This record gives sequence, structure tokens and C-alpha cells, in this order.
Amino acid sequence: MRISLSWLKEFVDVPGSTDELKACLTNLGIGVETVSHAGEDLLLDVEVTTNRPDCLSHRGIAREIGAACRLPLKKVQVNFQESAVAADSRASVEILSPELCARYCARVVTNVQVKPSPAWMGRRLETVGMRPINNVADVTNYVLMELGQPLHAFDLNSIRGSRILARRAKAGERLKTLDGVDRVLAPDQLVIADAERAVALAGVMGGEESEITASTRSVLLESAWFDPVSIRRTAKAQGLHTEASHRFERGADIEMAPLALDRAAGLVAELAGGEVLRGAIDVYPQVRSRPTLLLRESEIVRMLGAEVPGGVVERILKSLEFEVKANGAKAWSVTPPSFRLDVTREVDLIEEVARHFGYDRLPSRLMIAPPRPERDLIRQRESEISEILVSLGYRQIITSSMISPAENARFSSKEAVVLQNPLSQEASELRTTPLPGMLAALRWNLDRDQDDLRFYEMGKIYWRNEKGQACERRVLALGLTGHQTPVSVHGEARDIGFFDLKGDLEALLQRFAFRALCLDSTGAACYQPGLSAAYEEKGRPIASFGRLVEELAAGYKLRVPAWTAEIDLEFLLEAPQRARSFKAFSRFPAVVRDFSLTVPSRIEYTRIAEALERAACPELASFAPVDLFRGASLDSAHYSLLLRVKFESHDRTLTSEEIAAASRKLLDALASLEIHLRGEAPAEPTSPRPPNSKSKFQA
Amino acid sequence: MTLEELREKSGKTLQDLDACAPEEILRLFEGVRELLEQDARQLATGPASSGGQDAARDEELRERWLSRKRGLLTLINEHWLKAAPKPLKPVAGVSFNKLHARACEIFPDNVAVAAGRKAKASSLPDLTLPGLRRPLGSLHPITQVQREIEEIFINLGFSVERGPEIESVYYNFDALNIPESHPSRDDWDTLYIDAQTVLRTHTSPVQVRALEKYGAPLYIIIPGKCYRRDNPDSTHSPMFHQIEGLAVGPNVTFADLKGTLDFFARRFFGEKTRTSFHPSFFPFTEPSGEVAISCPFCDGGGCRVCKHSGWIEVMGCGMVHPEVLRHGGVDPEQYSGWAFGLGVDRYAMMKFGIDDIQLFFQSDVRFLGQF
Ligand SMILES: [Zn+2]
Repeated sequence: MRISLSWLKEFVDVPGSTDELKACLTNLGIGVETVSHAGEDLLLDVEVTTNRPDCLSHRGIAREIGAACRLPLKKVQVNFQESAVAADSRASVEILSPELCARYCARVVTNVQVKPSPAWMGRRLETVGMRPINNVADVTNYVLMELGQPLHAFDLNSIRGSRILARRAKAGERLKTLDGVDRVLAPDQLVIADAERAVALAGVMGGEESEITASTRSVLLESAWFDPVSIRRTAKAQGLHTEASHRFERGADIEMAPLALDRAAGLVAELAGGEVLRGAIDVYPQVRSRPTLLLRESEIVRMLGAEVPGGVVERILKSLEFEVKANGAKAWSVTPPSFRLDVTREVDLIEEVARHFGYDRLPSRLMIAPPRPERDLIRQRESEISEILVSLGYRQIITSSMISPAENARFSSKEAVVLQNPLSQEASELRTTPLPGMLAALRWNLDRDQDDLRFYEMGKIYWRNEKGQACERRVLALGLTGHQTPVSVHGEARDIGFFDLKGDLEALLQRFAFRALCLDSTGAACYQPGLSAAYEEKGRPIASFGRLVEELAAGYKLRVPAWTAEIDLEFLLEAPQRARSFKAFSRFPAVVRDFSLTVPSRIEYTRIAEALERAACPELASFAPVDLFRGASLDSAHYSLLLRVKFESHDRTLTSEEIAAASRKLLDALASLEIHLRGEAPAEPTSPRPPNSKSKFQA
Repeated sequence: MTLEELREKSGKTLQDLDACAPEEILRLFEGVRELLEQDARQLATGPASSGGQDAARDEELRERWLSRKRGLLTLINEHWLKAAPKPLKPVAGVSFNKLHARACEIFPDNVAVAAGRKAKASSLPDLTLPGLRRPLGSLHPITQVQREIEEIFINLGFSVERGPEIESVYYNFDALNIPESHPSRDDWDTLYIDAQTVLRTHTSPVQVRALEKYGAPLYIIIPGKCYRRDNPDSTHSPMFHQIEGLAVGPNVTFADLKGTLDFFARRFFGEKTRTSFHPSFFPFTEPSGEVAISCPFCDGGGCRVCKHSGWIEVMGCGMVHPEVLRHGGVDPEQYSGWAFGLGVDRYAMMKFGIDDIQLFFQSDVRFLGQF
């Protein structure tokens, strides 16, 4: 809201410099956005919080400054002579909907001469951002800015039957408002009507037909109090936000209505001539009173952690026009003024005390919370998983939770959670999969010639379950393009492949103690067959990964192969971790032997590994496949596998006989899979060779 | 094997020599070694002597074995080793290395060799070339700042609490004392899923959820994603990150709020930072306040970041409204509490000098690589 310094000075002797005034207002909770010059005047753009409609006027701001600086608030100037003719002989007011209109005051001014306002009035209105219209309309705006009470002026001659009714609109009733819009009204909207029709949308905007014009001779001035909720709904429904509705919906001062009316009548008489008819019409069916609140000194201490002297408490509240009476030795009975609808509890009074005492003057004390013994496993696990991924070269990204329905449908069959009022169609559903965001991130970089990408995102997906309930769950997404080894002077480049991604997943998953983690070689539909797979734990999917199918990659305009993975992060956060207990290693040297095996093509490596693990060979320390080839001298039904095996014992150096026996045990286990040493008849296994020793090679 | 035979064999491959098994290779190398030892015995001088004809002869012997072009070992390396079939390479390699080491022992460096070494050194790689780097990943700047803030409060004894992003109107508004018709409901600019469900507009609903779950006393911080119906621009994003703090106990006062947030500000923005508190309004706190810090970029002197005021507003805070405590099942006459809320994205922008919030969500590696 714009505040003119010269106007402010009509209500309080503003002390000090502009900077001091700014600091003073800020400390009261009235933010000063800008201070600028407007001719000889100074303009302050202040920010008033929604709970303080009483500060949406010059007088309201002046009251706060006066209280803070212990200066008196000057009186509102009301000077006019009433004529002998009674106002109620020329017009009548009736409130038909007192639940929406609690008070309606009106005055009649006759024989006015409508013309442009004098220069001082025009300047002031322009300073605070209002366009001067004519001397009568300008007066209503002037009083609004001065006292915060919205007013309206009707051309009395256009009010049929000289009757003013405050009633609900009839269904489908029409009104052309001052902005020229022909509006259709609804019964929950309050109108001001004459004997025949609506003449104003109450508290929001007047009607065009009763507008003040150059030919207006008699004016009916309205100063009323409308229900905040109703005004807010009406303004919203009509898409009309005005200075009047802004104040009414926050709560106007019901006791200000007659004073503002008199101030306006005086100004109309002064600027437009005319006679103010005798008496104000004041329909106020049920006088509103404010509750009296108990304020305890002990409660001030309990809330603020400080003792504010009783005298200071009383002075602050009284200067803000609260009624304060002692209630026993250590408490007060306080009645807030009519313009402070925000104060309804003891704690609201304590805020007033704190505010005017000064937040910065209140004491400050560092609080140490009693720490809890429980560990925050989620935070810890998330950090650990991030650490692994960062050390593997992944950069974390964060992408939007809101995506387009088409993208959800492309990757997932889950029912999406749909937004009622999305910002756009492109962001109208919550993501059921993190992949579209990941692919968009890859594309963004590929489009900017950045090809070697490794991203991860930890975020949520959202969907509706079979019962229709909205669910959310943490997931981890990986996305990779480009090289595993980038091109350099030191060697050749190598592109990312299936086993790079699989290796990263293994590095991550080996942290957890799975009971039956297995790899399913059929990946999700978005991946290329043969280049994708999924991990399952007891039939429950944990991770799905692979190379994106061409059509999808083309759809996202990815010019290089893209690899992605989706992992059930929430499962990992809750899964038991691999036990970290020390296992003694052997003090005796290990012996390494290479087995050159001929394997039937249908046997996958995982079955070989299982067979070896189940072979009950205590000397077997570890094994790994080190070479694999097909073709050449082999028939198409077999492939050749070079397996490097490490034998060791915890209590002695193994003899060559023991190694031969252990080797035989392993070969026997493999024989059941029709695997045998290369070049040997299946029935007669011989001792395998050590990798770098003098023992016999297989031919 | 004679020297002449070796000269001939050193020009052939192992396959040509029919040495296809390790033991044959080992035998071959054994023969070479015998010849080498013969030459060693012919050396006139001990390793320490020097000069004259003897030296020239020694040099000749050395050249026979180690000449960079025609030395026997050079040829063996060239023909036997490099052309060896893959499975035989290890055996041949180990044998050769032993032999070469022995030859170097027998024929130690002299001036001429040193000169040769120098020439050889110039063919070594340029060590000023960049190393082979394994690219490191990075945490998102928002995560970095979020963790830093969390850790400050964890060190003060607070725990981390979380809540759903799809939230009921009850927890997001009603339980926080935001009445149905209050203008502030408009201010949040909420994304609705249905009449009773929203994308949470702040992390505050977790205040009530946590109070219901744990009761008082309670000291928590609540990080998380929030959503508002803001069109994206350089300072707005419909999805953003907040951290909420809540302290509820038997003697928790505004003084604790001030002291704790002052400590936080000094830890996060630098120990010289000053804080200033001024009144504000939130329906779920009373009294409510804003915290401003002395601008860490100009020490309060005035700059672009602080809009030349010397101060920057960094969070909203206040004493928990009695209605909120009551909704959480906590008696406001027995317990009191304070709360604060801050925007992690804005903190990250301030900390790293980022002028566009959209950069956080574009995933550009040129951006992510800077943190
Ligand atoms: Zn600054």
C-alpha cells in the first residue's frame, strides 16, 4: 500500500529521518518496500500483512507510529453544517440480509456541483496510485485511503423509490458494474438495490446506472460493514479485486463507518458545494462488541522468556486503543478495539506487547534440545547410497514431480494422480516413473554437446492403488550415456555397455543383505531385449535396467544410446544391510588355478557359480570368470570358459594332493552340468593348471 | 645351444621353433641363460673396473646382448615374446624378465650406456600430459545445502522428520489454523488433487503429524519438497524445497527461538553474521516474525544482493499457535513451542550466487559440475 508522508503527518508528527521511519515501521511488522519522491512529497510503499486491515490507511499507519514513538494521534477533521431537511425524508435504508451486512450508514448531500477535484486532492490521490475522477467520487477514494473505510456514492436521482436495500442477489440477476462489465449475480452475493433492481455489488463495485456524473445533483453516500467471507467469495467469483473488497474481505472497522461517512460528507460539501441533509441514517441491527481477554503476566514470561514491566504492558496496549483494566495484581482485563479483529486470544495480546516492546530488545538464548538415542536410518542410508553413486561418477539431479500424461503412459501402467488445477497440460500428472525426467535431463545435455553423462535422482513416484488411494514412494533412478572410458591421449575410448551399468548396480546392492536376490534377464518393456534385466528379491522387483529401445530414444531425440535404471529406493532404505563383522583371513598362502572349461551353450554363468558354491569344497576361497569365447575350434553347442579359482586353508599350506582333490570336487560338481575341462573326456578329469606356473597347460 | 644357433633362433617365433608348451619354453630360456652366463665369465673387468681395451671388449659383449637394435635379448623380445600365443605369454614373459634383469646385472651402466639411456628417456611419455581421471560425481547443490542446514540442527539435538507430499487439506490448512475463507489460502496458490487433497504447500503439516505421533516434548526439523501454483521464472518454481523446524517443550520461549536461529545464522552464513527479528504474520504462529541477517556479501554496507539495505530476510518464524498445538494433541497451557520455515533453494542461490532457480532443475552438467 502507498503512503504519502505529508498525509501521514496530518495524523501524527512523524519524527526523525526517512531511514528512522523505515526502521520504525519494519520493527512494527510493516515492511517498507520502497521510498520515493513524489513532487515535494515522499511516498512509502508499505507491505501490510493480511491480518492487519486496520493498517491499510494513513490513519492506521499513523496510529502504529504514534504508539511506537509515544506521540498522540490527531483527530479526523469533520466540518460541515447540516441543513434543516432530514436525510431520512429523502431516502430510506433497509438491511434484508443482516448476516451479510451488519451495518449500513448513509448521508444525503443535495445540490452538489460535480466537477474535477481541486489540485491538492488530485495530487494526493495520484501520489497513492489512484486516478482522479470527479470531486464526489474522489472524496470516497480519499476517505478510503485516509481512514481505511470503503465508501460509495450513488446518484440519488437514479435510485428508484429512494430506497436502499441490502439484500442477496436474485438468481440470474444482472448488474452492469462501473468497469462496464455486465455481470450475472448469484444468491450468495450481496447487492445494494433500490426498489426495483441491484445498483451495486456490495463492498466490491458500484453499478454504472447509479454512477455519479456531471449532471448529478443529489448524492447518497454509503458507509457500511459487510461480511468478510461473503465479500471474498463474491470478489473471487466475479474475478473483481478492488480497493474496497481488499479491505472488506480482511475485515473493516464497524465503528469507523459513521465517522468516515461524516468525513466524506464534509469533504463533498467543501469541494462540490451542496447541503448535507440533517442526520445520518444508521442501520445497525446488532451492535457488535469485542470480547474482554485475560492477560497474565506469567503468560508473558512463559511465551517471551522475558519480564516486561507492567507499566510498559499497559502503555503499549493503551496506545493501541485497547481498554486495559487491572485484574488482580498480576493480570489485566483487556478489550481490543473494534478495528483489531485479529486480536482474539491472550497470545495475540502478548504479540502486541512483544511487537511494540521490540523483537530485537527481547532476550535471546541458545536452546539445546535433549538428543534422542534413535538413529535416523533413512538419512544415513540415503547418504551412504549417495556416497556410493557419487564415487562411481554419478551426478545427482532433481527433476519435476509433475509431468505430462503421455510421458507417464509411455513408461508405466500405474494409475496416475491427476492435478485438478495444473499449471499446464505438460505438468498435469504426478510422475508414476522417474524415467521421463531422467531422459529429459540426458537430452538437455546431449543437445548441448555434453555426451558423457552419469546421473542419479532420488525422489518420489506417485500413483493410485487398487483402492484409488494416492500413494507415494521413494525411488532411485540412474541415467547414463557416452563413454565408460573417455577418449584420451593415453588410450582408446570405450562406450558404456550393459555390464558397466550392471557393475554399478552390483556395487550398490552388495551393501545389502538380500536373501534371494536374482537376476531376471527380461527387462522392462522400455528396454532392448538382451541388453536389459531386472533384479528381484523373493519375486519382488528391486531394480530394472537396460538400454532404452530405439523408438523411445528417438522420441526423446537422444542421439546416442541411453542406459537407465529404476530402483526401489524405499526397499533399500528398509532392507537389512550386509553384516559388518570381521572374518579372519588365512595366514597361509593361497593357490590359484585356472580351469579351462567347455560349457554347454544353454548353461548360464550363474548356474556354474551356484554349482561351485554348493560343491561343499572348504578349500575354495573365491573364483571368477577371466575369459570366455565361442566359435573357433568349438562346436556351436558349447562355449569355452576360463575360470580362475583360488584355494586356501585357514590352518595350513595346501599340498598339491589337497589342491588336486579340491579341484576334483569342483569338477565333479560341474560335471552334473555337463561341464568339463577343455580337451578332456568328460569322464576323466585331470588336475587343472596354475595360471603362471610351470605345471602342465591344456593344449 | 651355441651362440650361432641362438642368433638364428632369436629371429624366429616360438611357434616356428615348435615351443608350444611351457616346459619347452622354459627349456629354451634355460639354454639362453647358459650362453649369457658364459659371456659373463668372459668379462675382463669386474663391475668396478674401467678403461682401455678391456672396456671396449666388455662393451662389445654388452652390445651382443643388450644393443637396442641388434642385441639378442632385443630380438628375443621382438620375436618370441611379442608374437607368443596368448596362453603362453605369461610363462615367456616371466622367463624373459628374469633373463633381462640378469643381463643388466652382468653388464652394468657405463658412460655409453648412460648416453643411450638418455636417448631412450626422450622416448618416454610426456609426463606433463594430464592424468587419466576417473570422473567423480557430485551431490546436487540443493542437497548439499539441505544437509548443511540439517547438520547444524542435528548438532543441537534435533531429529529429522518427514511427511507425505500428497497431503490432506486438513493437515495442510485446517490443522494449521488457516480458516477456510482466510485470504492466506489464496496466497499459497495451491495445487489441488481433489477438494480434500493437495500437494503440500509447505512442510508445516508435518508439525501436526509429528505432534500427533510423538507428543511433547519434540525437537525436529522437517526437510522436503513443496509445491505451489507459481509459474516458473527466475525466482519461482512450482516445486521447491523447504526446511521447517519445530521445538515444543515445557519451557520453550521466544528467547529460545531468537537464540537458536541466531546461532544457526552464524553457523550457516558466517560467525560475524548479525540477526534482526521483526514482526510478521502466519496463521500458525503467534507471535510471528521474520528473521533478517546482516548481508554476508557486503557486511551490511549495502550491495545488489541485499538491495542496498544491508539486510536480507532469510526465514519466517514464531511461537507455535495454541490451536496448532491443540490439533497436535498437546496442551498449550502446559507446553509452548517455536517453529521456523526456510526455502532451501533460496539459501543455495544465496550461498552459491545463483541468479536463476530454474538452473536447479535443468540438470545441466556445466551447472552441476560447479558444486
Ligand atoms: Zn549486501
